[in-house]
This record gives sequence, C-alpha cells and structure tokens, in this order.
Amino acid sequence: KNNRSRRSRHHLRVLVYEPLQKSLPLNSLGLLHHQESHMAFVKAQKSRSYFKRFQVKFKRRRQGKTDYRARIRLINQDKNKYNTPKYRYVVRFSNKDIVAQIVSATIAGDMVLASAYAHELPNYGLKVGLTNYAAAYCTGLLLARRVLKKLEMDEEYQGNVEATGEDYSVEPAESRRPFRALLDVGLLRTTTGNRVFGALKGALDGGLDIPHSEKRFAGFDKDGKQLDAEVHRKYIYGGHVAAYMRTLMEDEPEKYQTHFSDYIKAGVEPDNIEDLYKKVHAAIRADPTPKKSEKQPPKEHKRYNLKKLTYDERKQKLIERLNALNAAAGGDDDDEDSDDE
Amino acid sequence: MPAGHGLRSRTRDLFARGFRKKGTIHLSTYLRTYHVGDYVDVKVNGAVHKGMPHKFYHGRTGQVWNVTKRAIGVEMNKQVGNRIIKKRIHVRIEHVMPSRCNEELKQRIKTNDQLKAEAKAKGVVISTKRQPLGPKPGFMVEGTTLETVTPIPYDVVNDLKGGY
Repeated sequence: KNNRSRRSRHHLRVLVYEPLQKSLPLNSLGLLHHQESHMAFVKAQKSRSYFKRFQVKFKRRRQGKTDYRARIRLINQDKNKYNTPKYRYVVRFSNKDIVAQIVSATIAGDMVLASAYAHELPNYGLKVGLTNYAAAYCTGLLLARRVLKKLEMDEEYQGNVEATGEDYSVEPAESRRPFRALLDVGLLRTTTGNRVFGALKGALDGGLDIPHSEKRFAGFDKDGKQLDAEVHRKYIYGGHVAAYMRTLMEDEPEKYQTHFSDYIKAGVEPDNIEDLYKKVHAAIRADPTPKKSEKQPPKEHKRYNLKKLTYDERKQKLIERLNALNAAAGGDDDDEDSDDE
Repeated sequence: MPAGHGLRSRTRDLFARGFRKKGTIHLSTYLRTYHVGDYVDVKVNGAVHKGMPHKFYHGRTGQVWNVTKRAIGVEMNKQVGNRIIKKRIHVRIEHVMPSRCNEELKQRIKTNDQLKAEAKAKGVVISTKRQPLGPKPGFMVEGTTLETVTPIPYDVVNDLKGGY
C-alpha cells in the first residue's frame, strides 16, 4: 500500500510540507529539509541554517532568573560618581527559604556585602513558619542589623525598635548618612501584602535607608489610600497565621493537626505567636553576627570518568607519543627536540 | 523626490546591531567608569536612541573632557575644509568603549619605570628606548645541492606535432 502523505500544514516556525512544494512560503528560509518522495507522517524539522542564525538570549534570561531591563536600571550608577558602589537589597523566596542580601555590581560579578537567610532564624528562636510574612520581616531585620554592625553604624542607627506597622523612614544621624540600598524584587509580582514587602519593612525597621512607599505593605487600603498600621502590625507578628490557626481549631480540628503539625510539635500556639516573634526580634538585635557552621570536608568519591588533562600534560603526552613513533620507525634523521613543535 | 540629508541619513548599516548581537545590552557597558583624559572609542549602539553622536563620529577615538550622570564628553578631531578642528561632543555611555590605543604605552611606562628603579638601585645606566628592527643577520645556507637549469635548444621536427 502506498503511504502517500496527507495534505496538512501547520504554521510553526518549524514546518510541515509535502513532496511538491512550490507554494510554501518558508521555502526560501531553508527550513525545508531533505525532500522525500513520500512521507508517512508530518515531519517538523529545524534545519542547520535555523540553528546557525539563532541568537540565544542571555544565560540568566534563558534560565528565567534575571530581568535585565530591571537590572540595568538598578545597577546603573551615575558616571560622575565613578566607583561608588550602588547597593541593592535583594530579596528572593524559595519554597522553603528566604534569601536577603545586600549586593553591589562589578564587571567581575556581583559582590555580596552581607546576607541573611530564613534558615538561620532557628538560631534566634524561630523554628517554624520560616517563609511567612513575619519570617520575612525577621530576615530583613537580621540583614539590616548585620550590615550596620559590619559597617559599625549599628549604634547610630537603631531603627524602629518597637515594630508598630507604621511607615518608618530612617532619620540621618550626625556623623554618617544612613546606609542606602534599593529594593530588588526580581521577578515577583508586587501585589499589596507580598512577603517581599515584609522583608522590606524588616530592613527599614532595622535602620537601612531604602526608598519605598507604604502602598504595598500588608494592610494598605486601596480605596481609602491609607496604610492601616494595626493590620500591618498583625502581619508582622504573625497575627494572620494565628487567626487561621484559631479558625481551624474551631472548625476543622483534624486539618489543624495535619496542617500545623510542626507548630504543635514546637509548642507554638495562636496566643503566644506574638511573644515568640517579639523574642526573635530582640535576639536578632542583640547579636546579628552570622554563625559559622562546622562542615566536614566532603567525602572522597571514586572517579568514574577520565580527569581532564591540563595544557602542559597534553603537550607532554604528545611529545612522548611522537618520540615513541620515531623510535619505532627507526629514528632516521632529526633529533627528538624537533618533536616539540 | 530626493533622498534627503537628515541627521541619521545613510546609517542603515552603520547603526545596525551586529549579527546575533541584538537585544539586551550587556551590563559591563554600564559598569565601566571613565575619567577625564581617558582615550575612548565612539561606536554607536543603534538600540539606544538617546545620546547618539552624529554618524561622522562613529569609529573615531578621542579623549574624555567631561563626565556627567549618564554621558561622557569626548573631544576629537574633525577636518573642516582646510583645517582640523577639535570638536567636543557629549555621548551616552552605550555608544562609547574604552580605547586600547594607548594600552601598549601604559604598559611600557609601567615596565620602564620598574626597570629604571631596578637599575637605579644597582647603579647601572640603562636605556629604555625602543629600537627599530634592524636588518636581519647573515646566515649560511646549509644542506643544499646545486642544480643547473639551462634551456634546451628548440627542435623544429619534434615540437611541431599538431601540424603547421
């Protein structure tokens, strides 16, 4: 039976064709591969010329991690400020961790001045809920105190010791101006109440100077165009988590047991959440220095593939091979030094 | 209707981005610093429309005379009629690259200063001047045999094969 192709056309960048193809518009681009007299099915191919002309996006764009448009605008420093670093306050969330860093950009790469992670919070007494709004606030606060301590500005700039949820901006002190950084949210959607603004609030209360508006803090009323400091304070102290815990305890106790099992194990209850966070804030302010963890040197593993040789090793191997060849051939003329070419 | 001599006339290819170099501008363009007196190449980046120099200055090299927030003042020579004028323009950073024209000079200054310091310490008099390449030294040609080539006399009978 003759498997003649069916006429079907899909208009992709990669295309489909039939044996006689005068009318296909993409013919000239060379996207047509080898013509077959009869094909059983639709063949989509990207030819060699397609790949030769393809321009890849930047690596981090391909990975979907960096927004270059935003990055250019964050990094661009006035040329008449020459090498003065422009710091960005980078906040990133993963499924189980929060990363807060102060970073400045150089041609060699980004230099991190200080960093704080949510997985460090157990050292300050917070064992559960490491990615919620309150934990983001703690991480931001930890980073701010760490940076100020590193730059010996922590006495001057205490920031907002009592977190009230109100909009607080650092006042410049006598001797030094406050540490300025710009918030870098990455690829997040900046909706009101996003945890990234919790981290921002933490850094602000910690004493950093970050230009901001209260519009995106949790508790901002869109219609009244005002920040409800009470609501924001609730979020900072985990009040929203506590409220959910209470509703679950009343309505669905089994779900409460499963959902908040770690909280129950750690002894965190809706009534003592606020005190817990107050203690964490105090502990952070008391000693923000990072703790070096003792790590074992990594275990030696058996090597299953060949180790890559260095340039000198490869050259040496070549010389030895040539010498062996010449010796085997009888070594008519040249001395062995000529093999070094 | 005639073609016109607008500001960007005849720049279709000149201001075009290179093959497979389109799109986002790499960040080192924005991270470089320029000081007054640095040598700088002007190379227009067609993707950035602000602060573009005139097409005449594309490919020229000049010195920096001013540094502003986002742009650089470059001073270069232009022939106007029968004389050469120093022209001062302001160009955004995207259209400017650090020039390597005096890279070799700067390196030579560094090594010469080092050599002179060492020589002074030892009390030796040295000259750090560059010398031009002289004529190549003579050499003996080895391992040759002489082959004398002479023309053979023309043989009418044998060479007129194709008929005459």
